Amino acid sequence: MEALGDFVWPRATSELILLPVTGLECVGDRLLAGEGPDLLVYNLDFGGHLRMVKRVQNLLGHFLIHGFRVRPEPKGDLDSEAMVAVFGSKGLRIVKISWGQSHLRELWRSGLWNMSDWIWDVRWLEGNVALALGHNSVVLYDPVIGCMLQDVPCTDRCTLSSACLIGDTWKELTIVAGAVSNQLLVWYPATALTDNKPVAPDRRVSGHVGVIFSMSYLESKGLLATASEDRSVRIWKVGDLRVPGGRVQNIGHCFGHSARVWQVKLLENYLISAGEDCVCLVWSHEGEILQAFRGHQGRGIRAIAAHERQAWVITGGDDSGIRLWHLVGRGYQGLGVSALCFKSPSRPGALKAVTLAGSWRVLAVTDAGALYLYDMEVKCWEQLLEDNRFQSYSLLEAAPGPEGFGLCALANGEGLVKVVPINTPTAAVDQNLFSGKVHSLSWALRGYEELLLLASGPGGVVACLEISAAPTGKAIFVKERCRYLLPPSKQRWHTCSAFLPPGDFLVCGDRRGSVLLFPARPSLFKSPGVGSKAITEAEAPAAGGGSGASENVATGLGPVSALHSLHGKQGVTSVTCHGGYVYSTGRDGSYYQLFVHGGQLQPVLRQKSCRGMNWIAGLRMVPDGSMVILGFHANEFIVWSPRSHEKLHIVNCGGGHRSWAFSDTEAAMAFAYLKDGDVMLYRALGGCTRPNVILREGLHGREITCVKRVGTVTLGPEFEVPSLELPDYLEPGSEGPGLIDIVLTCSEDTTVCVLALPTTTGSAHALTAVCNHISSVRALAVWGIGSPGGPQDPRPGLTAQVVSAGGRAEMHCFSLMVTPDASAPSRLACHVMHLSSHRLDEYWGRQRNRHRMVKVDPETRYMSLAICEFDSDKPGYGPLVAAACSDGAVRLFLLQDSGRILHLLAETFHHKRCVLKVHSFTHEAPNQRRRLILCSAATDGTLAFWDLTTAMDRGSTTLGSPAHPGLPYQLGSPCLTVQAHSCGVNSLHTLPTPEGHHLVASGSEDGSLHVFILAVKMPEAQEADGEAEQLVPQLCVLEEYSVPCAHAAHVTGLKILSPSLMVSASIDQRLTFWRLGRGEPTFMNSTVYHVPDVADMDCWPVSPEFGHRCALGGQGLEVYNWYD
Amino acid sequence: MGRTSKDKRDVYYRLAKENGWRARSAFKLLQLDEEFQLFQGVKRVVDLCAAPGSWSQVLSQKVGGQTNGQVVAVDLQAMAPLPGVIQIQGDITQLSTAKEIIQHFEGCPADLVVCDGAPDVTGLHDVDEYMQAQLLLAALNIATHVLKLGGCFVAKIFRGRDVTLLYSQLRVFFSSVLCAKPKSSRNSSIEAFAVCQGYDPPEGFIPDLTRPLLDHSYDSDFNQLDGPTRVIVPFVTCGDLSAYDSDRSYPLNLEDGSEYKYTPPTQPPISPPYQEACRLKKNGQLAKELLPQECSINRVDKLPQPLIVPQCHTLLAPKVGDTGRNSSPLTH
Ligand SMILES: C[S@@+](CC[C@H](N)C(=O)[O-])C[C@H]1O[C@@H](n2cnc3c(N)ncnc32)[C@H](O)[C@@H]1O
Repeated sequence: MEALGDFVWPRATSELILLPVTGLECVGDRLLAGEGPDLLVYNLDFGGHLRMVKRVQNLLGHFLIHGFRVRPEPKGDLDSEAMVAVFGSKGLRIVKISWGQSHLRELWRSGLWNMSDWIWDVRWLEGNVALALGHNSVVLYDPVIGCMLQDVPCTDRCTLSSACLIGDTWKELTIVAGAVSNQLLVWYPATALTDNKPVAPDRRVSGHVGVIFSMSYLESKGLLATASEDRSVRIWKVGDLRVPGGRVQNIGHCFGHSARVWQVKLLENYLISAGEDCVCLVWSHEGEILQAFRGHQGRGIRAIAAHERQAWVITGGDDSGIRLWHLVGRGYQGLGVSALCFKSPSRPGALKAVTLAGSWRVLAVTDAGALYLYDMEVKCWEQLLEDNRFQSYSLLEAAPGPEGFGLCALANGEGLVKVVPINTPTAAVDQNLFSGKVHSLSWALRGYEELLLLASGPGGVVACLEISAAPTGKAIFVKERCRYLLPPSKQRWHTCSAFLPPGDFLVCGDRRGSVLLFPARPSLFKSPGVGSKAITEAEAPAAGGGSGASENVATGLGPVSALHSLHGKQGVTSVTCHGGYVYSTGRDGSYYQLFVHGGQLQPVLRQKSCRGMNWIAGLRMVPDGSMVILGFHANEFIVWSPRSHEKLHIVNCGGGHRSWAFSDTEAAMAFAYLKDGDVMLYRALGGCTRPNVILREGLHGREITCVKRVGTVTLGPEFEVPSLELPDYLEPGSEGPGLIDIVLTCSEDTTVCVLALPTTTGSAHALTAVCNHISSVRALAVWGIGSPGGPQDPRPGLTAQVVSAGGRAEMHCFSLMVTPDASAPSRLACHVMHLSSHRLDEYWGRQRNRHRMVKVDPETRYMSLAICEFDSDKPGYGPLVAAACSDGAVRLFLLQDSGRILHLLAETFHHKRCVLKVHSFTHEAPNQRRRLILCSAATDGTLAFWDLTTAMDRGSTTLGSPAHPGLPYQLGSPCLTVQAHSCGVNSLHTLPTPEGHHLVASGSEDGSLHVFILAVKMPEAQEADGEAEQLVPQLCVLEEYSVPCAHAAHVTGLKILSPSLMVSASIDQRLTFWRLGRGEPTFMNSTVYHVPDVADMDCWPVSPEFGHRCALGGQGLEVYNWYD
Repeated sequence: MGRTSKDKRDVYYRLAKENGWRARSAFKLLQLDEEFQLFQGVKRVVDLCAAPGSWSQVLSQKVGGQTNGQVVAVDLQAMAPLPGVIQIQGDITQLSTAKEIIQHFEGCPADLVVCDGAPDVTGLHDVDEYMQAQLLLAALNIATHVLKLGGCFVAKIFRGRDVTLLYSQLRVFFSSVLCAKPKSSRNSSIEAFAVCQGYDPPEGFIPDLTRPLLDHSYDSDFNQLDGPTRVIVPFVTCGDLSAYDSDRSYPLNLEDGSEYKYTPPTQPPISPPYQEACRLKKNGQLAKELLPQECSINRVDKLPQPLIVPQCHTLLAPKVGDTGRNSSPLTH
């Protein structure tokens, strides 16, 4: 070991961990949270802020924290300091923390004690701790000096799935053990006659039909609660468990979770449970559900804690999020539903429609043509007007705005529209618009200046009325401004409208699911370039059979831009403009973020919506700047927050098919609907938001499958990145200009996430999620990285193009722009624009002669992507994307028009097995053409190399013609194949060497590494053969090495950092450095990291001072850093 | 997704159904045997963690038919009966189950002990890896009681962070320890099989059922945690070259020309733990939270007055200035 120093360099240290939160505990007004081996402390007191105050690093070495036990202080002063036993897996450590005056310090820590077996529970017994261990034994341990005092097994030796220790002294110590056989065993370790002598169980309790995952004992009431794999929680009356032989009686069997229940906790008056269904339930001790908290993503809630004095519940999820909920939640908030008692002899007729003008005025119209007002302050019905022309059919819509502008509109079956000022109904104005039924009415409001009413008549004609008021407010003016014409369809009417800021355009949605753009003032509108689009007769077939004479009136102005059938046959339900985007919602259960550029509606980004909400009815911006989604799920109306994934309001209204209205002001949110001939009103004070808090945002709900760094954004000093932690935590060297790495992750949860990782704070900010995929996303590729102002303008920020691909043979292409934004917590704004998408089975579906072809399997998964960029001398010829496919193919897609067109160009089934990896690189040599080489690798351990430059040459013979026109080309045979491993290749990387060769390294499922030098030789040009013969390079292997047992599991991350240094990462949780260039690769050092199931790794140099960074993605995310 | 989509994504799942195996795992044992001739000269076998029983099916075909052949199958779960297979229902980590198994081999040791045990994974990787290791160690403990000298032990392992500790443990008892992965096990799966041949316990070793065999811990003197001296055993891929690739999606009509026909699953699970919860859910009988309006619909006159809104409210939901509620609309 003489060259020790040499072996140690470089050393990776962990900078950031995002893992499932498996331990949470409240101590006074602090919250302790376990994240990997680190302890996070949050302040929960009202005076201060809800924020993280300290990270106590590396308490448990390579173990993960599963729990905390705070030593009870007889003098009861936990507000200034506390002794905390931190445990997880087989590790235990005690830390003493002082937290007086909001300054948190670690005073002392014990050694890290390694137990022989898993620790299920820890209990302080005065100065010592008792531990319940994995095979049903109890140990008494001195945690200060780290020695075992007693070790007592149970006669019933078996593995446990949970345990609970009760009692404050060794003498009275009681263990309730949950055995794998689903039984509870109660026994008393102190009854052992001698040390090590097994003790027989005092009681065995059966009941659950699945493993018990968690237990909680409430001494004051003699209750025990258990949570199980069988999806139920049981409440047991046990009395004082410390007394042997007592009766155990099951007093409650609670089924409420739809998956396994991971956690249970008994409080004085409540029981909280949480599980795999990501729901936290609050029960009474009698087994009624009082609250349900939904919001975590992924595989469930792993930890719960309660702050009884404040009545808070805190949950930690598999998504690494931490949330705080109000135990009595809606108590004061929702006022519930009230019936407004419309029915009365003095009010004849049945209600037809209801609307809300602001959140305290309800309007309703009857089949007698009477319009009524209900004012919640006065609490009585008042008739505004009666007009028998509105008897059989009447639409009713109140104008938008906090008070509905004091206006509403009615429309009937004969083309009549009536605009009614609510306060002076006698000043109502009638307009006869059509000779047939008015199908729909909608309003559009621009600031407080311009108010339009749109009415759809027969034949897809939409009349646009301008509404204005006299300064006295006593009279209103209604003037028809223009007419629009909708694209033809069977149900040809519009459904919603909004001004597009600054106000030159109107965005409309129609019943056919299309989103349309119309000029708001056609008289001023000069169509740029494109000929004026006033629709001619040919384009507007007389769908409504409009009267021929008034043809000129019946036709109108067509849309200047349209996204046809975006929301499918059920129609668009709302359009909203906010923050430079247009949002549309639809009955297809989706909502989209759109963008208007150059007068055109741009490709869309699909947004994630609430599970099960298959009818999205609208979207609102709430005062705190976030957005809420309105929709229906079966019989319920739901207000859902996409930011917190929380159902903010649930109203059991019977579904969206009856007349309803929603209004949201800061003071209150209101939802009115018709039911049983009456108006029902749900109101909640304080608007839509609920006071639940996200202490920490979650990341992906499922495994991360790919990590890709895009680039770095440098922020000037004016963008000082807020530090989450007190200055004393900041590491030296972390000041200076703010460097923020932009990293993409994709996951089995079907999303792609854009993350910002500042180098200064050790924190991560999720900037945006892309939710267009319908199945898991497995691979990402990035190209065209630039700056927002183009190459000439060194504006800070970053732009890039991204391709993502995954299950169901689906691929999406989008562009990314990250710019500084001082107002955002991350100091960055991120804009994503969807460019194109591709699905193999759709592609197949479009082929004419498909009956003669083998159907492409829609179950094909894309496993990996590589971008192959050609020389810039081929204009319009975008890069190729190579995809490794599970059906045994390597496919090449061509991206054109900066990613707006994506199509399948060529494929090969050379591998005949699932292709796991693709990687591309270029070969450059003096006086030679730059050559693009693709390497693919499959589950049989072979690597194949393809010369793409030759293949793509015009008239090349390498690219075989397709069997049928329209099918992809065939990519011939590879230039070279190498049998590198005995089984699947899970990582692949290359680096050019100074000698003009290429280092190729691969890592496999069998734990082996394979490294070789690849030479690309060009044959001498032979004049005799003429020009027809192409020069095809020859690939050969010069030096080849294998390291068989480099890792104990799949090598899923590999990067050659320099010709002499390589780093590898594996599912065995080791990050290992290898020395290259002196024959066999040699082991330098390795670091144990915390993320299980790592699927991908990316490494990049940050700056000379900062060194390298490396991100590992698997069941969580971890970032390492080392100095070069 | 139709019922055939799993058939497309998982060729072994489909082949298992078509060949009457209770689970696709049958192919794993067959491919392990192909490589290691596990069944050669074997008459007495223990199949630990056997349900639903595809390994027992293989064993009963290959071993059970012989005279003096004996297969003892053990699982937590109930298992449909199989000819020539003795079944025990119980937890293999539990002392009483272990004793019951050993009784069957008193005086006539087993030639082979196999264990395909896997816990119901919780998704918490460290817990799952630990639970898996305990199954392997419990199986090893049983093997030390029933296995003949020179006998063979095959057990499923999860190749996670601490798998090297299991290797070092197994090396104590067997002259050869390999890590094998049958082709029917997916690339994406961390499962593999420890194939331990030549049972040869250390001198003076006395099997003891009453103490569990615990995992080894990293020897800090040798820097086994992150040093180069971790015990990593050789890796062998099993199954011949023509074997189907379990990661590949195959078209329904396979190349061998056989016509595809949907086959229903062979053996659905017997009374899974979630049965009752699913029944209740199906009948809409799961407990539900009480929505405010369900308590009782208020008449207007009884509309409750709001309680005083606690101060915390503003702290958590920042107040935004009143946006012109009182400004008069639309002046001409
Ligand atoms: C992958 S299945 C085995 C499949 C089986 N080899 C076959 O071919 O059909 C794993 C089995 O391990 C069983 N198991 C898990 N923990 C156990 C325990 N502690 N004791 C006994 N069986 C257990 C489970 O019940 C499950 O049936």
